[in-house]
Amino acid sequence: MIYSLVGYYSLVLGLIVGLTLFYFSFKNFNNATILNSKILSFTFLQFFFVVISFLCLIFSFVVSDFSNETVFNNSHTTKPLFYKISGTWGNHEGSLLLWLLVLTFFIFIFLLKTKNQPTKYKILTLVFQQVIIIGFFIFLIKTSNPFNYLFPIPVEGLGLNPILQDPALAIHPPILYLGYVGSSIIFSSVLSATALKMISISWATHIKKWILTSWIFLTLGILLGSIWAYYELGWGGFWFWDPVENVSLMPWLALTTLLHCIMVLEKKNILSSWTIILSIATFTLSMCGTFLVRSGILNSVHTFANDPERGVFILIFLFILIFLSLFIFFFFHKDNEKNSNQFFWLSKETSILINNWFMMYFLSVVLIGTVYPIFLDVISSEKISVGPPFYHKLIMPFLIPFLLMMAIGPKLKWIKSDFENKFYLICLLLISIFLAYFILKSFNQKILINTILISSALYLFFITIRDFFVKKYKNLSQNISHFGFSLLILSILFNNLFSSEVITNLKLGETFENSKVNIYFESIDSKKSKNYDSIIANFIIRNSNGEEDKLSPELRIYNQPVIATSEADIKTSLISDKFIVVNLVQNQDYFNVRYQVKPLMMWIWISVILISFGGLISLIKKNHEK
Amino acid sequence: MKILKIIIIIFLIYPTNNLKAEDLEIKNKITKNLRCLICQGQSVYDSDSEFANSLKILVDKKINEGLSEDQIYEFFKNKYGEWILYDPGLNKNTYILWLLPLLIFLAGGAIIYNSFIVKK
Repeated sequence: MIYSLVGYYSLVLGLIVGLTLFYFSFKNFNNATILNSKILSFTFLQFFFVVISFLCLIFSFVVSDFSNETVFNNSHTTKPLFYKISGTWGNHEGSLLLWLLVLTFFIFIFLLKTKNQPTKYKILTLVFQQVIIIGFFIFLIKTSNPFNYLFPIPVEGLGLNPILQDPALAIHPPILYLGYVGSSIIFSSVLSATALKMISISWATHIKKWILTSWIFLTLGILLGSIWAYYELGWGGFWFWDPVENVSLMPWLALTTLLHCIMVLEKKNILSSWTIILSIATFTLSMCGTFLVRSGILNSVHTFANDPERGVFILIFLFILIFLSLFIFFFFHKDNEKNSNQFFWLSKETSILINNWFMMYFLSVVLIGTVYPIFLDVISSEKISVGPPFYHKLIMPFLIPFLLMMAIGPKLKWIKSDFENKFYLICLLLISIFLAYFILKSFNQKILINTILISSALYLFFITIRDFFVKKYKNLSQNISHFGFSLLILSILFNNLFSSEVITNLKLGETFENSKVNIYFESIDSKKSKNYDSIIANFIIRNSNGEEDKLSPELRIYNQPVIATSEADIKTSLISDKFIVVNLVQNQDYFNVRYQVKPLMMWIWISVILISFGGLISLIKKNHEK
Repeated sequence: MKILKIIIIIFLIYPTNNLKAEDLEIKNKITKNLRCLICQGQSVYDSDSEFANSLKILVDKKINEGLSEDQIYEFFKNKYGEWILYDPGLNKNTYILWLLPLLIFLAGGAIIYNSFIVKK
């Protein structure tokens, strides 16, 4: 109870600090020296209040204070401590408080770390960031107060959705939010730089660090969500083109485009308008994501809370931000015409433009595929589904030139380039085609597009490996990220092509057998845990080489709320994953058994880690050089 | 509900794996493209709900009846509406969906070519 009070009033105080900062900055805008000394402490004060508020919510969860509505709805006394804490952001109110926490944290760090930029720029960035922060404060306090009272006080809470009771999912939202919210700094900074007409090489160098930071977190956040979906949702897939997955992919695509585009700005001081538009787009897409998820428009596993009033609020807020940014863009920005915008066709600039072109296409596919069904429903009340086949058809063919460009693009020089050493480029291309053809032929796969796709991915693979050894750590970050991407595409393709599965019904003691595998249902155990009871089915699986594995998938019945889930058992190795999941067949002794062999799963995760590791190297290098 | 019960009974009587390997491949392909209507964002193939299981049997049956893949989609579309198909066909409702991204791609290419590339 006391926690709720303190938490709530800290929020109100945080809002007041925000408004004060806002007013104060405008009033003394031309007298920057006064501000410079004050803003940092004010920003820290705001961050401090949000931290207090957040800690209060965590404490309320830890001590199971059911006078707090959020705690009542999402926790239970029997829950392990870890999930009591992670329950804090496993719900709408708490996750928005986390948003706010990250927002205030980032602007504080931004002001702390930005030393070589003009004070006016710092203050204006702070002002724009405060617009976002104040908006979120009001949203939180008005529509989603995490500290609502309940009276009489319930004795027990409703519990947390079991599929959210998972370690990967406990850290997935904070990491993802660091990425999402990081883009807000880019947004504020680009608006203030535009208004002050200081979009330049030094600004590009400065903001690139922030782009990299949020890009790394966003990449890792998506990865964690994907890993969670793989082992928890029970179907052995890791990406379903589900609207909410798409919503996290869109800012990632925009951010990746921005990351490439900013290099041209940093080097040649051109493409400034495009950089501004991309920065605005990235944050808008993050906000749209919040809107689409929170408003409950999307039919998806993630919509654990929805309410039309919230949707309307975010929508209005979003329109204000978009209007504000477009206003600034059109009234303040003038493209620097002194610098020639003309590129030679074979140059690094052109190759980055081509990257941007394809990335924008991928983004438009994902955006249209996600949003179009909603529009159609509103306009003609006809419901259609847009699923994996749509995305595969529109994206896969375009990946082929994209991969080839990824291999060749980084080799080009700025301004004007030519191929001095064509020999190895052609050689490696031939080797890739031959190898792809050979692999697919020997496994009896005859689909032409797969052969071409694998050839181009292999090409990127070989080129990046060669560069790694030949170029001696020059441009290491790009090299590693591009290598990671080729590995990702290869792993996904091979995983798709060579996955195999068995679906059967088995009773205790029975054996399923086919030419590849022998599945023996050995025994059943049961186990009682604090927050669930489980039935464990033990299987012995022998493949045709005589290798034997013991796998024990579980059926869990969570007590609060009472929901049955099935937990897959996965045996992971570098070559392939063995994935087994069971379900009860109603009123029978039979278990429905689903056994899958999924090659190279591990490499999908590793490659994404490599991609973000490339970003990390670039970030460290930047700081180191300074 | 009655139909559902009958289907479940059929499901329990018939063993599931009575399809040839080739048919199984088609079945998997089809069920991956069908939305499990009672689940949230899962395909029939991925889901283990009663609804999904009954649909799997129905797909088996249709394959055994000798219907082609497209005919089976058509059958489900008529029965449950377009919502069930994950792969929306090209028709008056979906022209924008399929063609807009491609138009954006072409427009992007044109813009890059016209405004940035040096011509001789």
